Amino acid sequence: MFKLAFRMAWASLVKRSTRSFMVVLMICTSLWGLLVMQGVYDGMTEQMIANAIRSDSGEVSLFAKGYRLDPGLDKLVAPEKDEEAKLTTHLASDSRVATAVYRLRQNGLVATANYSRNAEIFGVELEKEKGAGQLHRYLHKGEYGFGKQGKGVIIGYKLAAKLQVDIGRKIVLSAQDRHSEVTSIALKVTGIVKTNNMALDERAVFINLARARDFLGVPGGFSQVAIMLKDPAAVHTFQQDVQAHYPDLAVFRWDEMYPALMQSRVMMKGFSLVVSIMIFGVAGLGIFGVMLVSVLERMREFGIMLAIGTGFGQVRTVILIESLCMGLSGFAAGAVTGFMSLLYFKKYGLDLTMFSDAFEEFGMDAITYAIIRVDYFTTALAAVTLATLVSIYLPLRMLRKTKPIEVINEG
Amino acid sequence: MLIRLALRNIAANTKRSIITVILGLVSTALLVFSTAWMDGSHQQMITNAVEIYSGYIQITGDNFRDSPSYDHLIFDVAGLQRDVEAVNGVALFTPRFESFVLFSVGDKAVGGMLTGIMPEKEQHISRLKRSLQEGDYLGENDTNQLYIGSELARRLHVTIGDEVAFVGNGADYSFAADRLQVKGIFQTGLFEFDASSAFLAKPYFDMIMAADNMATHGIVLPDTLDNSVQLAKSIGEKIGGEYQSASWQQIMAALVKSMKLDSVFGYITLGIVFTVIFFVVMIYTLLTVFARIREIGIMRAVGTTPKQIFSLLLLESSLLGVVSVCGGGIVGGLFAYYYSVHPMVFSGMEEQFKQYGLAVTAIPTAFEPLTILRDMVVMFVSLLLSTLYPIIKVNRYKPIEAIHHV
Repeated sequence: MFKLAFRMAWASLVKRSTRSFMVVLMICTSLWGLLVMQGVYDGMTEQMIANAIRSDSGEVSLFAKGYRLDPGLDKLVAPEKDEEAKLTTHLASDSRVATAVYRLRQNGLVATANYSRNAEIFGVELEKEKGAGQLHRYLHKGEYGFGKQGKGVIIGYKLAAKLQVDIGRKIVLSAQDRHSEVTSIALKVTGIVKTNNMALDERAVFINLARARDFLGVPGGFSQVAIMLKDPAAVHTFQQDVQAHYPDLAVFRWDEMYPALMQSRVMMKGFSLVVSIMIFGVAGLGIFGVMLVSVLERMREFGIMLAIGTGFGQVRTVILIESLCMGLSGFAAGAVTGFMSLLYFKKYGLDLTMFSDAFEEFGMDAITYAIIRVDYFTTALAAVTLATLVSIYLPLRMLRKTKPIEVINEG
Repeated sequence: MLIRLALRNIAANTKRSIITVILGLVSTALLVFSTAWMDGSHQQMITNAVEIYSGYIQITGDNFRDSPSYDHLIFDVAGLQRDVEAVNGVALFTPRFESFVLFSVGDKAVGGMLTGIMPEKEQHISRLKRSLQEGDYLGENDTNQLYIGSELARRLHVTIGDEVAFVGNGADYSFAADRLQVKGIFQTGLFEFDASSAFLAKPYFDMIMAADNMATHGIVLPDTLDNSVQLAKSIGEKIGGEYQSASWQQIMAALVKSMKLDSVFGYITLGIVFTVIFFVVMIYTLLTVFARIREIGIMRAVGTTPKQIFSLLLLESSLLGVVSVCGGGIVGGLFAYYYSVHPMVFSGMEEQFKQYGLAVTAIPTAFEPLTILRDMVVMFVSLLLSTLYPIIKVNRYKPIEAIHHV
């Protein structure tokens, strides 16, 4: 019976090939657009998040209590040698930790002979930064190092542009040291980084950690410990465990440090949901129109079928197969073309360098690499199936209320 | 005759006509409201960026914008002011001197921007005075009185009456330092600006920074705000090559571009939704005209020309299109108007908004009748285009084929 129902449904679709094709094309086009939009938009958001995690926060960051609200050298993580050893050993032995970087930070002023800007000074160990956030990958100009004598400095590209400095130029850093004295140091620019993390590109000045300790009079301790995890999904449990282990420290997840990025992700999900509902709602209306007309046109045919003993369930199966064939064909075509397009954008990226200024304004990459998530397709399949099933409800109800003898006589 | 026939046909297919009208109406309303929303949020960003501090037109020494050093300052503010104020369309000119210094209070030191401003004129050109949170705004004759951003004050742990020391470079590259007293605390809502900015009355600033009659830039308030580009050009011609005059569109080219980009993404998203609607309208038109194919065949058989059939069907689509875009324009326009008067509030999204340079979470839509009309025309043309294929297809049938069509 199922085979017969399928043949009947297929015959009907072929007979009304133009409208069937239009419905398939409608679902295919809308699904393709939706998939590409979701993949590219999500790619943008995830790139921004990845930039922030890799260049600054890690998945989790440790600070001294109160540091983020009121930063200063009086609030350090593990200021004593034994505390530092305990912390580094603990993190090194935790199997969940991929890398941990230790930074000393202080607000200050960076000046050239002609100009000055406020800056955030980062005392870092470049090798560790390389392993953790892959800071070297953001190198825009010069070398990834502080020179042979460690007197070099790596700065954000926007700061470099403002100061009009290039590789080899001298800058003077001024900041307050641990004893509240204003101190200065002259360094040569060895590298310029472009992280697409706006805060870093506009204000970051990276110097050697040992030199920073000397410059700021801080023999031990860190302002921030940024930790990358092997499994980012374990971030919540890791945060809880570390917090329980170090109750005197403030342990932040990346989304707590960059709430705007988390809001972007939430907003993007909500936006995709609204657009999906609109698209599938309207597409459902299209399928409904076609199915309604298809049923109304064949009322006499269905009436005869019912009169000679065909069960209503069998007629329903024919209509169901007909609508599912259209819906699922549209889904298959849309999913395949959408997947191929996403695959292309994932590999080669969507190059929007013509808007590069605009992307930089928001700390985004001008080349966006799409991401592909299974739930794009499963959600779309569920939505197409639902839209298809809902669209035949009314035609079936009309058919059920019809008396076979009346529709036969009407013809 | 054609109109009467078209109206009868529309009435005969009530349900399909209603669905087609609803789809067109919803699409138009969506387009009108989305455009109003995008334009509104962009205008809000511009207003924030321009009016809080930057200004509509900036004048700097030649090359200062590319190479912001003290070598490229404005060295004759008085002379420049005379020239600028002589240009038609200039409402006000005020000089500023920006300098990056290290603020220090006890064991706290924070880098920031110390700017000398003319307090009286500044209140007409920026929102600094209106952003007063505590204490008082600056007076023209104030000496070491500091007007400081709320976040910077919090970081330095100072309040009204407290002392703040600073060290920096004077305009002659000499070492400059002084003790200042907090007179007022402001909060513009732009976090970074509030966290790094402080202001002094320019006469006193000039004295301690050796910047007499000098400025890093001057701000011009135009008589008509929409006239910034042309006015900047006129000022540029008047003041000559020694200076550069730029409108906010040039100063904030990246922001302008980012708004264009935002619009592009917005229209792409709308385009996807409209594609589906386009197909649905096409499908409904196809169903409608094919339901009448025998009738069309008979009309052709009794002498109606294909052109007349085409005109009749197009007229039906046009009538439905007019009703839907007018309805959609009104609905979308009403929403756009309501939210332009009562801006939408997005509480809880402050961080996201800060990232886009918005100092507030209430975004008004832009109610612009001409833009609404443009969107209505765009939608009408789109709706008409979506009906062309079914009309052309049905018109290709020969009369006898159409009459026997099952």
